[in-house]
Amino acid sequence: MTQVIKPKLIDENGIRLDGRGPTDLRPLRIEVSVLEKSDGSAYVELGKTKVYAAVYGPKEAHPKHLAIPDRAILNCRYHMTSFSTDERKILGMTRREIELSKVIREALESVVFLEEFPRSAIDVFVEVVQADGGTRTAGLTAASLALADAGIPMRELIAAVAVGKVDGTIILDPSDIEDKYGEADMPIGVAPESNTIVLLQLNGKMTKDEFRRGLELARVGIQKIYQAQREALRRKYGASTTEV
Amino acid sequence: MPIYFNDREIVLPGQLLSDDSRRAGEGTYVMDGKVYAATVGAATIRDGKVEVITFRGPYKPAAGDMIIGVVSDIKPIGVEVDLGGHVTALLKVKNVKELASLDLKVGDVVYARVSSSGLKGVLLELNEQFKKINEGVLLRMTPTKIPRLIGKRGSMINMLKKITGCNIMVGTNGFVIVNGPSPAKEFAAISAIRLIEREAHSQGLTDKVMAYLSKLVGGEVSHDTGDKA
Repeated sequence: MTQVIKPKLIDENGIRLDGRGPTDLRPLRIEVSVLEKSDGSAYVELGKTKVYAAVYGPKEAHPKHLAIPDRAILNCRYHMTSFSTDERKILGMTRREIELSKVIREALESVVFLEEFPRSAIDVFVEVVQADGGTRTAGLTAASLALADAGIPMRELIAAVAVGKVDGTIILDPSDIEDKYGEADMPIGVAPESNTIVLLQLNGKMTKDEFRRGLELARVGIQKIYQAQREALRRKYGASTTEV
Repeated sequence: MPIYFNDREIVLPGQLLSDDSRRAGEGTYVMDGKVYAATVGAATIRDGKVEVITFRGPYKPAAGDMIIGVVSDIKPIGVEVDLGGHVTALLKVKNVKELASLDLKVGDVVYARVSSSGLKGVLLELNEQFKKINEGVLLRMTPTKIPRLIGKRGSMINMLKKITGCNIMVGTNGFVIVNGPSPAKEFAAISAIRLIEREAHSQGLTDKVMAYLSKLVGGEVSHDTGDKA
């Protein structure tokens, strides 16, 4: 039997496998309005993690009995393409994807003004085309941008990032390998203007102190992501006013 | 009263706009007595209210709106009208005789007033304003930009009608009917509407559209009249 050898995730200088320091994000790229047929869309790339989000609606809720008379329903589908991982992911929604759809939906529901669209439904699709850790947070970041791009009224945007613990060190934005061999992984979604946490999960073990430091580190990362989100929206919509 | 933006500045959801909650207008929301932007758009002050002109977004029906819709279903209780995309409205009838007298088929285009919009859905009124539209070109534009097409007290739309000589009907839900004397004039009107849609948030739009139209129509109008004379 072969034994899996755990790679050394952080060297003696505190440099991670991909050359980052413990508090560095991966290279970030954000774009909005990337899919023509959708009402709103966004693309988020965080290192090798690549995620598309598309929003359709508000439209009539189908089947009709699901419609709520005083607000819209938000449908969310988080899905990983079968070619997004090292080993082919089976088609269809796995248990994990169903759960992540739910947590992303609940995070989005906390910022969208659903009561503006009674009896309708808003569909949000998050499609992971390449997965290298932190796909749910990248997906949530993209989904909130796609909603803003669709012109749906919302309290504010959401930015999300994960923090992890590897070799006893708290790190920002763990990659797939750090997630697999590390001691803990904690995705956090925050609405940055009001500083409210809309998503928080924790896999693994952290002490109280580590948790606090992790949360603090996540806030730093989220500010960077939020900045990039705002720039992406301004780039798209600012251009349309200057060309006039 | 402090204002936290420059006129026509691009604002994003959650951005603080003003401290005075009484001045919250379209595209904004109030939290803890402060006004924040709810959508991506250009912030401005209109009639003393802080407003965000949304670049694109869905139509929200309100009582009193004049809409243009496409009949999507005929039911015993009334006619279902598609208002473009996500909303369907219901035009209720009293009895079958009234339904027959309307003479509507699926696919017909109607112009009507919204009587109520709420928990019971969107209802249309069957009054003297109700009209079945038989001719013209049906256009669809972003509902958020309809106010720009109409202009201040109808200035923009009246100017369009006058210069192109077309009859233009505007539905708040984003549908527009253009019915003109000649295809060239209809084309001019439609191009102008597309221009308004593209540049809805720029200043001095009426002048720009006027210049654009006189370029398009100017030659043709004199040409047309010359032919007829």
